[in-house]
Amino acid sequence: MIDKTKNTYELTLDGEVVAFSHGESLFEISERHKKEVPTLCYDKRLDAFGGCRMCMVEVEGFRNPVASCTTKASPGMVVHTHTAKLEKDRKTLLELVVSENRQVETPELSGFASQELTQLANRYDAITGRFAGAKSGTSRTEDLNPFILRDYDQCISCYRCVRVCAEREGDYAINVMNRGFATQITTEFNSDLRESECTFCGQCVQTCPTGALADKKALRDRKTVGDIKKTRTICTYCGVGCSVDIMSKEDKIVGIQPAMDGPANLGALCVKGQFAYDFVQHDDRLTTPLVRKNGKLEPVSWTEAIDVAAKGFEKVSRDHGNEAIYAIASGRAPHEASYALQKLMRAGWGLNQIDNCSRA
Amino acid sequence: MESTEKIIEEWRTQPAPLLGMLHAFHERDLKITEEAILAIAKALRIPKAELFGTVTFYDHLSMESGSHDDLRICTGPICSLKGSQEILKAMQGDGARSMPCSGRCDVPIPALRGNRTYQIAPDAIVPTPETPRPIPNPGGLEECVFAEIRDPDRKSLAGYQASGGYLAAEKALNDLGRERTLAEVKASGLAGRGGAGFPTGEKWQAVADAQGSPKYVVCNADEGEPGCFKDRTLLDHDPHLVIEGMILAAFCCGASEGFIYLRYEYPETLKTLGQALQEARDAGLLGKDILGSGYEFQIHLRRGAGAYICGEETSLLNSLEGKHPFPRNRPPYPVTHGFNDLPTAVNNVETLASVPWIVMNGAARYAALGLGDHKGTKLISLSGDIEKPGNYEVPLGLPLKTLIEEWAGGIPGGKKLQAVTMAGLSGGFLGAEDAYAVTLDEPSVRAKGSFLGAGGIMIFDETRDMVDLGRQAMAFFAHESCGKCFPCRIGTQRLTERLAGSAGPDTFAAWREEVEDMGQVMKSSSACGLGMAAPLITESLLRLFPDDLASTIKKANS
Amino acid sequence: MSNPLEDMEKPDVYFCIGTNMTECHPVAATRIKRGLANGGRLIVADPRKIQLAEIADLYLPLKVGTDVALLLAMAHVIDRDGLVNEEFVAERTEGIQELRQHLKEFTPSWASAICQVPAEDIEKAAHWYGEAEKAAIYYTLGITEHICGVDNVQSLSNLALLTGHIGKEGTGINPMRGQNNIQGAGDVGALPNNYPGFQPVDDPKNQAKFEAAWGTPVSLERGITKVTALDQCGDRIRAMIIGGENTVVTDPDRDHCEHALKSLDHLVVIDLFMTETAVLADVVLPASSWGETDGVCTNTERRVQRLRAAVPPPGDAKPDWWIISELGKRLGFSGFDYESAKDVFNELCSLSPIYAGLDWDRIDQGEYQWPVPNKEHTGTPILHIDEFPSGKGKLKIVNLRDPAEVISESYPVWLTTGRRLESYHSRTQTGRSFGIDYLLPQETLEIHPDDVEKWGLTDGKLCRMTSARGSVEIVVEANKRSPRGTVFCSFSFNETPVNILTGSGYDPITQTAELKVCPVRLEIIEER
Repeated sequence: MIDKTKNTYELTLDGEVVAFSHGESLFEISERHKKEVPTLCYDKRLDAFGGCRMCMVEVEGFRNPVASCTTKASPGMVVHTHTAKLEKDRKTLLELVVSENRQVETPELSGFASQELTQLANRYDAITGRFAGAKSGTSRTEDLNPFILRDYDQCISCYRCVRVCAEREGDYAINVMNRGFATQITTEFNSDLRESECTFCGQCVQTCPTGALADKKALRDRKTVGDIKKTRTICTYCGVGCSVDIMSKEDKIVGIQPAMDGPANLGALCVKGQFAYDFVQHDDRLTTPLVRKNGKLEPVSWTEAIDVAAKGFEKVSRDHGNEAIYAIASGRAPHEASYALQKLMRAGWGLNQIDNCSRA
Repeated sequence: MESTEKIIEEWRTQPAPLLGMLHAFHERDLKITEEAILAIAKALRIPKAELFGTVTFYDHLSMESGSHDDLRICTGPICSLKGSQEILKAMQGDGARSMPCSGRCDVPIPALRGNRTYQIAPDAIVPTPETPRPIPNPGGLEECVFAEIRDPDRKSLAGYQASGGYLAAEKALNDLGRERTLAEVKASGLAGRGGAGFPTGEKWQAVADAQGSPKYVVCNADEGEPGCFKDRTLLDHDPHLVIEGMILAAFCCGASEGFIYLRYEYPETLKTLGQALQEARDAGLLGKDILGSGYEFQIHLRRGAGAYICGEETSLLNSLEGKHPFPRNRPPYPVTHGFNDLPTAVNNVETLASVPWIVMNGAARYAALGLGDHKGTKLISLSGDIEKPGNYEVPLGLPLKTLIEEWAGGIPGGKKLQAVTMAGLSGGFLGAEDAYAVTLDEPSVRAKGSFLGAGGIMIFDETRDMVDLGRQAMAFFAHESCGKCFPCRIGTQRLTERLAGSAGPDTFAAWREEVEDMGQVMKSSSACGLGMAAPLITESLLRLFPDDLASTIKKANS
Repeated sequence: MSNPLEDMEKPDVYFCIGTNMTECHPVAATRIKRGLANGGRLIVADPRKIQLAEIADLYLPLKVGTDVALLLAMAHVIDRDGLVNEEFVAERTEGIQELRQHLKEFTPSWASAICQVPAEDIEKAAHWYGEAEKAAIYYTLGITEHICGVDNVQSLSNLALLTGHIGKEGTGINPMRGQNNIQGAGDVGALPNNYPGFQPVDDPKNQAKFEAAWGTPVSLERGITKVTALDQCGDRIRAMIIGGENTVVTDPDRDHCEHALKSLDHLVVIDLFMTETAVLADVVLPASSWGETDGVCTNTERRVQRLRAAVPPPGDAKPDWWIISELGKRLGFSGFDYESAKDVFNELCSLSPIYAGLDWDRIDQGEYQWPVPNKEHTGTPILHIDEFPSGKGKLKIVNLRDPAEVISESYPVWLTTGRRLESYHSRTQTGRSFGIDYLLPQETLEIHPDDVEKWGLTDGKLCRMTSARGSVEIVVEANKRSPRGTVFCSFSFNETPVNILTGSGYDPITQTAELKVCPVRLEIIEER
């Protein structure tokens, strides 16, 4: 029994006595001890669901294995995480899961967690062709939204998308219709995402362990040459400051994934942060300095551009004094931009004629 | 026609309003419309997508035009034996649909249309006959649950009271008090008669001890196990007995609110029960200050919507709460975190119906009703190839052979017994040899690899195609699998395909290995009893009829 | 924000006013939704029935520009019904006597007549907020973009101070900042009155400090605000350098803005694109973008975080700091010999007390929220725990004022402007991102269906919207989100330059424009 006066308790995990605190699940304890208990429906940001049963462990005195994600630890438990029987059952379960999908492999660009099924199936050598039969899930190829691929043929009904939409995003846009093998992830009235409460935040895509819900926009670059490089940075849009990984191949940005440990967002993003990144490499980008000549802006070298810019300020300074010069900084640029600009104004022209765009 | 606003207003302030609202709209519009879903979602603050998903979960709620009044023909195991599949095929052109076993195996073949049940034959559709009363046992053994059920006046409050009704409530509330009543129930050895067999007194004690208020008693009348129809008989002929049982349960638990969750396919019972509840309320047997004891207890009647899984207590609670009816993860158990996360006793109809007798006659006498070490009685629904199908109250420990041959007249037409099911379909099959060897109690039946469960015993004579029966049984489980846990969702589908020979290995050895591996993982890892029970079907077929299976596989692949 | 984002899951009562958070700060809004799922209660005050209002436990649909009345009446109820946290008020605030006297006349029924919110709902809101153990205020530009923006903020501050809902977990006054580094722009001194770290320029100590640091004389005199500068263009202001702002589209009174910039002798614009502002420039300097630039930004909860370059910039585009430094060097200014963003940031840290404990390497993981006064400090997630920057919290006397312009016979409809989830500001970025058009192809004017009918307009058809400053054509969208008599649109689409209409007035203290209220007239456009 839990003695509420204590902070930590002990149980036996694979023969080793380990400590735990009140409320911890067997999965959490196993994870802490690097047991690599497999799972498909678990996302640590979500309430434990107990659907995939892959994380089952044996607890001495219990007739059947228990799902470690939904089983709270209690003192004195004797837990086994990788007995031969568990491993065989896990393999059988994975073979069953593999049997309901058209394919198991999915491109890495599909989403943050998209490789989970593939990795587990390979780890357990579960792509055996056993248990062949009907496939589950009907793909929604007719949903023409540009962001979220709905290839439910890859769906394994782990409900992570449903749960992340409800528990993390709070949109409750997606749910499940029918039951049993006919279970189908969908929206209200089985509509296209655009007609639903979906805000295209992409959280479902990023938690999907199979690529059934996938980043359609990133997948445009699945054939682009190069390895995927991830660069941790902060989203460029609002002031919340979500941590993201920019995915690039060679010098091309191919997609965005949220940082699951980002302090401001904990894996969440919105439609802008998730999908509105390609302005960066848009053809409209300015690539060279421009100077107005005979009424037209003409490309010039940096040396010339800086020279013309400086001369303009020098002339105004001579004719009207430094107080006729004004600087506007941006709330979109980094600290270094605004710091340098205010220093230019204060240390250079000796005045405080600077403001930023926060008043609009 | 009732306006949308009126329906919403009528239900929104009631406890567990969703099912009531859905049925009201379903009856009004003959289907569930998008407008109804939007109106309900708004009123009850349920996300639209979730409510849509929940509606699609239930078999009898449909968004198709006119679906409420479609003819739904029972294709349960017994009705299939009686030719329901053929009738369905003939009538499909007229929009008839199938429904899983609808609990009238004693009066096959039932069909639902709107809120009425019919009895259907190849050439006729007539209103279903009145539920048959149970057949008395030949030996004059004392009964508990069925003690008074054959009294023709028993259905009304006056008749019920004339034969001793509500005296147990009077005794408990105004004489014994809570602790002595509870002690009596504990001492009787009464255990859950819905199948799980948890000691009833202990459950009530746990609810009484749990923190939180109000506390609830829920009567599980979602009798969905194929081959089970005992609860319907009790509720149709002796509804006040169940109500009185609930009052006693609530009194022991300290509960002030109760629900009866009745399966969708019993519309006539719904009416009977509604009237009985109203009579009880009018007579002050429910409500405030019951029988002048100061005790308060209300009962709300809710109708299911067609989902076998809702007979599982935590699915039932989710269903009542208006949530997607998946089973919950346990612990915590309903005794501490039940309806709305408050302490709740969920009890089967039969369990509750046993209590008034126990309170009146004492624990010792109840315990003594059983044979040998077994305490009390069990209702058995007997159906299939048997001379006298129906409900029997047997002393626990009675040999099944006695029931079949002496009580129920044996197998018709001089045929031999081939196999039986025990717990409806959940216990798989027992062969004739085992069937004639077991006694009706859990230890004996479990020793043969099955279990007694809710007590639905279906009899199959030597002419029956057991592999096909197994396929139908597995198809039932696949149809009813909720889809939450992987082993059950995929396993029931794969096992059905394999029994049908529509997919799977072409050699029996490989077939057997797949089926056994699946069975193993389903039994050890499914999240609830459905997935654990389903493989008992294949397991028992492999044990009893390997040759039949082998030839089925061979035929499918030739 | 006085409190961190993670606190947004903790209040018992949320008071969101003038913040369309699910569209403008969607990820922050998810925290509120989780808090509600855990039992928190939400009060929303907004003229429009935004999504937050849909999920609110109490919705106060106040008339545009009447926030002060609502907040005065809430303060009145809090005082009248004994919900003042007397201990907190005595220890931590000043001005209670005067405020109490002042509040007496502002009853809920008085406010109700002005805000068009039922008096009992005002009472309820005051009670929920006042009685909660933890209550937090969240607001955005719906509070500040008024001529009475400061009054609005001070009214909110009064509520928090009266009840003591500040300086504790799950409480606070929390403005949600709109741009990724708008907090940072202020932090680093891009303000006419403050050096980096909000050190006032008119304090001689600071003057001495920066003269010593930069080795050059600096001014004790505050600069003028951007709004004033734009007003003085062509007159006292003759040259401008604009770093990454599309002033023409985002600022109020577009014609005035455009005219101002055109009248300059010299305009230098640093940007990513040839914006509506850049086309007016004499020199356009191509900057490296997000994703191409190493640097630092600070979010709405004062968290200092690293931006990292993933790809090289196109062509000759360069980081802003490099461009400005080159200009500084060419102009002969000293102190611009930076070699990296790191050099710039570390110099900033050395001069800003709120960043004193930080440097480029320490912020690598983004765990610090300023102030971080020294290297041992772990940051300050919650402000004002023990005291306010000025010692005691000042309870302010605030009075209701009309907006700069009110509806009249010529302009009988209230226009209020805002943002939409799928587009960002002037769409220089979202407008150039594949797929956004699928969700939001054009700007529309949200009008209550009853008004659409009453005014003879047609859903989905163009109408003409005219204010005292100009006129735009815009597609009508019949939608009950807007109340009768008030219409809404965003300013994101250059094709629908709504800021031609706005700019009726500015807050006298902050000079923030009144973008949230603008009387307009709507007219049918005959089929062409």
